[in-house]
Amino acid sequence: MSAPRIASTLTLVALLASPAFAANDETAGTWQMVVLTGPTQIQVAPPLSTGSPDYQAELTAIKSAQSRLTKEQRRNVDYWSKGGVVRWTEILLELVARADLPPAPAADGSYPAPDANNPFADPRFPFANPPYAARAYSYVAAAQADALKAAWYYKYLYNRPGPSVVDSGVKALVATSGLPSYPSEDAVVSGVTAELLKLLFPADVELITRKAGEQRLAALHAGKAAASDIAAGLALGQAVATVFSARAGADGMRTAAGSPAIWAAMAASATARGEVPWRSMETPARPPMLAMFGSVRTWLMTTTDVANERPVAPPPTSSAQMQRELAEVKAAVDGLTREQLAIVYKWADGASTPTPPGHWNIIALPYIEAAKWSEVRVARALALLNMTMHDSAVVCWDTKFAYFNPRPSQLDPEIRTVIGLPNFPSYMSGHSTFSAAAAQVLAYLFPSGAAYFEEQMEEAAISRLYGGIHYRSDIEIGKNVGRRVGGYAVSFARIDGADR
Amino acid sequence: MRHVWVVFTIAALCTATGTARAQTVDDGIMLAKGTLFAGQIYAHDDWDEYWEGELKRDNGNIGTLTTQSNHWFGNYAVTSRLNVMGSVPYVWTRASQGVLHEMHGVQDLTLAGKYSFWEVPASPIGFIKAIGVLSAGLPLGDYTPDFQPLSIGSAARRLTARGTFNVQTAAGWFVNGTTGYTWRGHVTLDRPYYFTMGQLFFTDEVSMPDIADLGVSSGYNKHGLMAQGQITVQRTKGGGDIRRQDMPFVSNRMNFSKAGGLVMYEIPKLGGLAALYSIAHTFEGRNVGLATSMSAGLTYRIRLFSKVNP
Repeated sequence: MSAPRIASTLTLVALLASPAFAANDETAGTWQMVVLTGPTQIQVAPPLSTGSPDYQAELTAIKSAQSRLTKEQRRNVDYWSKGGVVRWTEILLELVARADLPPAPAADGSYPAPDANNPFADPRFPFANPPYAARAYSYVAAAQADALKAAWYYKYLYNRPGPSVVDSGVKALVATSGLPSYPSEDAVVSGVTAELLKLLFPADVELITRKAGEQRLAALHAGKAAASDIAAGLALGQAVATVFSARAGADGMRTAAGSPAIWAAMAASATARGEVPWRSMETPARPPMLAMFGSVRTWLMTTTDVANERPVAPPPTSSAQMQRELAEVKAAVDGLTREQLAIVYKWADGASTPTPPGHWNIIALPYIEAAKWSEVRVARALALLNMTMHDSAVVCWDTKFAYFNPRPSQLDPEIRTVIGLPNFPSYMSGHSTFSAAAAQVLAYLFPSGAAYFEEQMEEAAISRLYGGIHYRSDIEIGKNVGRRVGGYAVSFARIDGADR
Repeated sequence: MRHVWVVFTIAALCTATGTARAQTVDDGIMLAKGTLFAGQIYAHDDWDEYWEGELKRDNGNIGTLTTQSNHWFGNYAVTSRLNVMGSVPYVWTRASQGVLHEMHGVQDLTLAGKYSFWEVPASPIGFIKAIGVLSAGLPLGDYTPDFQPLSIGSAARRLTARGTFNVQTAAGWFVNGTTGYTWRGHVTLDRPYYFTMGQLFFTDEVSMPDIADLGVSSGYNKHGLMAQGQITVQRTKGGGDIRRQDMPFVSNRMNFSKAGGLVMYEIPKLGGLAALYSIAHTFEGRNVGLATSMSAGLTYRIRLFSKVNP
């Protein structure tokens, strides 16, 4: 089935599936936040009255701009009318794919680390591997959601109508919903997103800044927001970004790579337990991917939760069960049907891709768009999805590096893979964990899509066995743990106030 | 990488060298009416260095990339001015290092019509011919194009228009020039998105750039012996470079220049049976392997209808 057909089918499903909510979500200012203490943590000053000369001058400026709107400016209005949060998710997917390249080895066989202070060098910063990407998606989505909840609080506190409502001379170039326009939600999203993306993807600063500016201009040209709506929104968004940036600076990511001593200790620990320790199958051998990512701060789980969700050890490398699982992988990858091979490539999500967490955003977007939700509810949905995938990454990486279990190709060199072999321990499957958590959250948000999400999750999980990179235990345990991690997000969603 | 010539060469004989003898799409030879020329060619191609964009490098996770193929081909002369031809290869790929799985399978069917539209049999410099060729490539096997460089082909349908100019002296010396332009259909991946040329595309359809090629060969062809040297150049009209430390992508801009030679000898008293050997070396490229290619085969020529002189 071609992608457009898939998308249109999904859209149809989503239309049938999306639960209806009050269009503007007037109470979103009371929804529980993730990082902010509450909507008033960041103050937004009252707007000038709509009768004031300054505001009238802003209206005149909009009318003047609308009367001279170029084709390109009109196209820009139409582009952003799809929704700022959705558009930024699409942009972020591309930023991740562009940055999803492992460093090339130097002549001496070492691998230079990407440097945040020199992002344009080779290797570029960042290497947006799956954990990095999961974290990036989650910071952007969670910050957008908190910023928009705060924006909604002030919108309904001040109740300033949109420019096209105040002055019928201002054209509404996109559908209006009667949402108060101060502070502008588009400016909030542009501010919070751009500030975080500049930290996460510094080499793309030019694109990020340009897109953010275009989003604000679109709000003005569309007659959605006046200059003061935009200024207040931008300031609010940027202030929220500062809070999230501070969290990101201290969440453990800076030390997530580990060190040669840490990697050696992990291998020694596996050996001491009588296990064959993981080693890199690349030439030259590459350090494991983000060995300490399991210590990075989670969103919806406590450190105790993370410890509790670490599954029991995998089958010992010398066990009969492991031999059986190894044989199963070899038989699978050497005897693939074309349909199985298609599943492998559908879910490969390797280098130069938005990674597995990005793939689940691509699955979610048609449902979210079709639901025609308010911007704040869209942001909440993507925040739940991406926070649970970040938490999945943490739990999965904690498990991987606790057990340091070898990949099938290491235990049996005759096992050849039909996708690139991920350069980190096998147990448990990241794709299975991400997918089970994501499917759990999406099924909560879009109940009638539950069967479809479940089917996609199963396919994503088994693709790793077909690909020759995971044992069945990795997959089954990964799915179980992923479902449980997804449960934390669903529990949060039930009580955050949005679904009451 | 190995499919660089699969993309633009048509008959089986061309596999290793890009230009070959004996009634291929890009030579100046036409069969006599009623003649069938068929055979089997084995081709072997390997590289341990490749161009990642314009950067020449090796890769410890690939080692040496070897492609082998077995081609079955047949040409038939409807008239001495119109020959039709077809070929099908079976292809194997493997990497000597790393963990990537080998691939193999039936690749693409190629069908071509070759028409000699201008002939001057007795000019002062020799027999001059101008030939036009239209050929089409159709993927036969349902192989994946998304596992480069181990995929056995690009899985794209192709249409090639070609012009060839050939001069052969009475003593047997010849010069041949050929140029072709290839249009390729979309390739469908098994995934709903891909990243190339700095952009993330939310579709499984990959637009494939056109390809232009140019070949010049010269040598001797008489008394059942043919020997030639040739140079072949391919330029892809678009497509992205292989990204740093990434796997290649199906629509990459694959350019190369190769130099090589070919010998073919019709074994006396065996009534049309001939053996051939060719070799070629890539000396310049972009997003392709720095490959050495050889091929060897047996061909058979038989006059199915003895009424001659069309």
